[in-house]
Amino acid sequence: MAVLLRRLAGHVARGFVMILVVTTISFLIIRSVPGDPLAARYQKLVEQGMAPDAAQRAVEALYGFTPKGGLWEQYLDYMGGLAHLDLGQSLSVPGAGVSTVLFSAAKWTVIPVLAGTLLSFLVGVVMGVYAAIKRTGVLGDLLAISGSLLHGVPQYVLALLLGAIFTTLVPILPAGGTADIMIDPGFTADYIGSLVQHATLPVVTYALAGYGGWILAMKSSVVTVLGDDFILAAELRGMKRSIVFRYLARNAILPLFTILALSLGLLFGGAIFIERIFNYPGLGLMLIDSINNRDYSLMGGAFLLITTAVVVANIAADLLYTVIDPRVRSGGEAA
Amino acid sequence: MKRLTAVAALLSLAAVAACSGGGTNGNSTGGGGGVYTTVDINKPSLDVNAPINPWNPKGNAFWGYNAMRIAWAKNTLTDPNQFYPGIAASWDIAPDNSSITLHLQPGNKWSDGKPVTAEDVKFSVALAYTQGSTAFAVDPGAAGAASDVEVVDDKTIKITQDMKNPSVTFVRGVMDAFVVPQHVWQSVVPADFWDTLKAARGDGPEAEAARGQIKALSEKVLAFAPAQDVSAGPFVLKRMNPGEALLVKNKNFYNAANVAPDQLKLLNTTGNEQIWNYLTSGKLDNAPFTAVPADVMTRIKATPGNQVIKGYSPVAVSLAFNQAKKPYDNVHVRRGLAYLINREEVTQIASPEGGTAAVTTSGIHQKAAREWLGAELDALEPYKLDPTTADKEFAEAGLQKKDGKWTLADGKPWKVTIHIPAPFSDWVSAAKAITSQLTTAGVDAEVVTTADYPLYLSELAEGKYDLGFWLIALGPAPYNIFQRLYGTSNGWNILGGKVKHSAAGKDGNWMGGPETIDVEGVGAVNPGELTAQLNSVSGDEQKAVIAKLAKAANQDLPVIQLWDYVNTQFVNTNRFTGFPEDESDLLRQPSGVWIQLGMIKKKQ
Repeated sequence: MAVLLRRLAGHVARGFVMILVVTTISFLIIRSVPGDPLAARYQKLVEQGMAPDAAQRAVEALYGFTPKGGLWEQYLDYMGGLAHLDLGQSLSVPGAGVSTVLFSAAKWTVIPVLAGTLLSFLVGVVMGVYAAIKRTGVLGDLLAISGSLLHGVPQYVLALLLGAIFTTLVPILPAGGTADIMIDPGFTADYIGSLVQHATLPVVTYALAGYGGWILAMKSSVVTVLGDDFILAAELRGMKRSIVFRYLARNAILPLFTILALSLGLLFGGAIFIERIFNYPGLGLMLIDSINNRDYSLMGGAFLLITTAVVVANIAADLLYTVIDPRVRSGGEAA
Repeated sequence: MKRLTAVAALLSLAAVAACSGGGTNGNSTGGGGGVYTTVDINKPSLDVNAPINPWNPKGNAFWGYNAMRIAWAKNTLTDPNQFYPGIAASWDIAPDNSSITLHLQPGNKWSDGKPVTAEDVKFSVALAYTQGSTAFAVDPGAAGAASDVEVVDDKTIKITQDMKNPSVTFVRGVMDAFVVPQHVWQSVVPADFWDTLKAARGDGPEAEAARGQIKALSEKVLAFAPAQDVSAGPFVLKRMNPGEALLVKNKNFYNAANVAPDQLKLLNTTGNEQIWNYLTSGKLDNAPFTAVPADVMTRIKATPGNQVIKGYSPVAVSLAFNQAKKPYDNVHVRRGLAYLINREEVTQIASPEGGTAAVTTSGIHQKAAREWLGAELDALEPYKLDPTTADKEFAEAGLQKKDGKWTLADGKPWKVTIHIPAPFSDWVSAAKAITSQLTTAGVDAEVVTTADYPLYLSELAEGKYDLGFWLIALGPAPYNIFQRLYGTSNGWNILGGKVKHSAAGKDGNWMGGPETIDVEGVGAVNPGELTAQLNSVSGDEQKAVIAKLAKAANQDLPVIQLWDYVNTQFVNTNRFTGFPEDESDLLRQPSGVWIQLGMIKKKQ
């Protein structure tokens, strides 16, 4: 336990430094993004029919929400704010805190991507084992081909295809949004049904897009483990198939856990194409919007969230690996 | 087995829930008036975190639906001072434009039951001062600013213009103001606001400090978030999710009896393709102006109930020159290029449904140009496709033709590089068509796309581009129209009521045109000063200035006018009727204005 705690403390310290470094680099990159958000706002107002002088004054009113001072001063302000868990104010939505905007968008990304990732993992792993065991049969070949095919098709192509089929050709699913606004939000069958209905296409797209990778990785891993001596020994000892299968799966799945943990960390990155195609307003769309609006605080907040999630996922993966694989435990505990 | 059962149960629940969700769509239409579904052109991208605030760029106060102006501008071809009623039922404008007296809608109430009064309007004017507008500007010497706001009685308010520097757009500036309930917004403005404003209108350090205090309020106003929507419009915001906003009918609205829909759904969109999908599936009762490719247009038209309405849109697109760069400082080069561009072909490729090829370059949309210039429009050089004249112009500029290709005067290669923001697909298509035409005529040309519009505007203003696309003719106010050619982008700024010219590359001057132009039949003119005059002159004098400026633009070509936009909208008559006809001035207002005026009726 002490070893585990020591390891955890080391990971947390390293993770903190990593977040600090990435945040600094993100800050510098974001501040050097060219483009003037206020000029774009001015043009929009003029194009909407506002007189140029009035548009200029309206834009000046927004100036209070833009970062002030030199780069170093802005950096210190930003890091000082972070120390107090204050991510700042959004420029594109004056008055809204960055953390409010982020967490409001995050729920519409994390739940569907998590559902899609876990679904693809479960199905992919089971089918991968099956494809490996039956690798000389037609079914094994078909499973492997399905994996290669789906792995090779870009996410946005899948999304467009599913969208065209289920929202236009056979319009049984909604083309966009998160829930039917006509239904009162609450813990009711109607509302939950609407949420599920609207999330179906994004989740299925995430799942199909991920499935190919999992099945191929699992098949490859199982085939490797199948050749190991301990499987042969188990079979020679006449162990039950279910026990052999458990040995097989437990050893083959180890590398996939690392990938799964990292995938979960990347959840917060959103899936820009899928969210755009299904008009599903999560973190991906929010990030694009913040870049288009040169909303520096919001961009910084989004990158910080993504970085933190990846670092935490890395730590979790490492610790999990220690728990599930006795070979990597240090200090001879594995013996 | 237990796990399998659990998974099966979950899937069943999801399936049942999905079915029940689908069923609700059909049963949730609310009251007898039905649900009107549309996209808000001003805020197509919804944001649940934004406050219900008309001044906030993403605020969930939707113009015409739950956000009300004093009146709604008709944006006619030539007169910026024509309006449909809004918070004001009628108005009296002084003959010399020195004041406007507003008569508010009798019996109009906020959605919470309190009456809409002249005090609400005065309070909203105070808020407008913090955001800056034409009529409510704090800057000393600003043209067309109000000098006094007087509540005459509960339903009447008089606003007087500062006649030291009057503007013909004063009335428009007043009418464009949003009106919000004082009892909700009270805390935002300090009680001594009007005293501070009075001090701000003077000179010296005290006035400067007072102006600072008013400007400091701007952030507070922009960020203010009322706990709930209190609207004087036909609808009140009930709830939102990231994909949709639901507004319900405001029973206290002055014309509620004639507002047909009981509910209004605004859909979130982040791109035109989503609007196309909504239109193809017949979901939208109205879609605002949307660029649509020909094949998509065919699909949209094939959907039962869908109809296309077209009208005037006071916008044109042009190819603008950076005259600080050679050889575009030479008018003959600009003219030569104008003679090589087939505008009909470009428009047909780029915007077949949403544009009409420009008849010439005048700086004005061709429909408004006909009204302003009359027969003089026909006297302008049309710059029709004419490679022979183009060759003569290039030769006049000293360019050389070698092996069928035009080079610079010193024999060095010449390449026309047109910059375009990548997300504007119609502009990209147009630029490609132009470069193809130029290349065929022996002018080496290329299109370079810029990642997005903010970057494009930023680099354009920095003078990084030789040529770029630029929106012009933003009418109907004549000053607004010509400010696009002879305003900040070309070196002229109005500071404290005085016109100042900055050299190319300074103070936002990226067009780099000459300060004076010798116009044939007119003489030497300073187009920036003429443009500034449009703020104050009216009648025949205004027409004379416009004619001079149109001639100057036509002769000097700071831009080549490519096409004039057509306001192409879509309606679906399956659920509602009474939509505006083709060419109606209401097409330039959101459908909330059509609804509040009582035009839209539920289909029987």
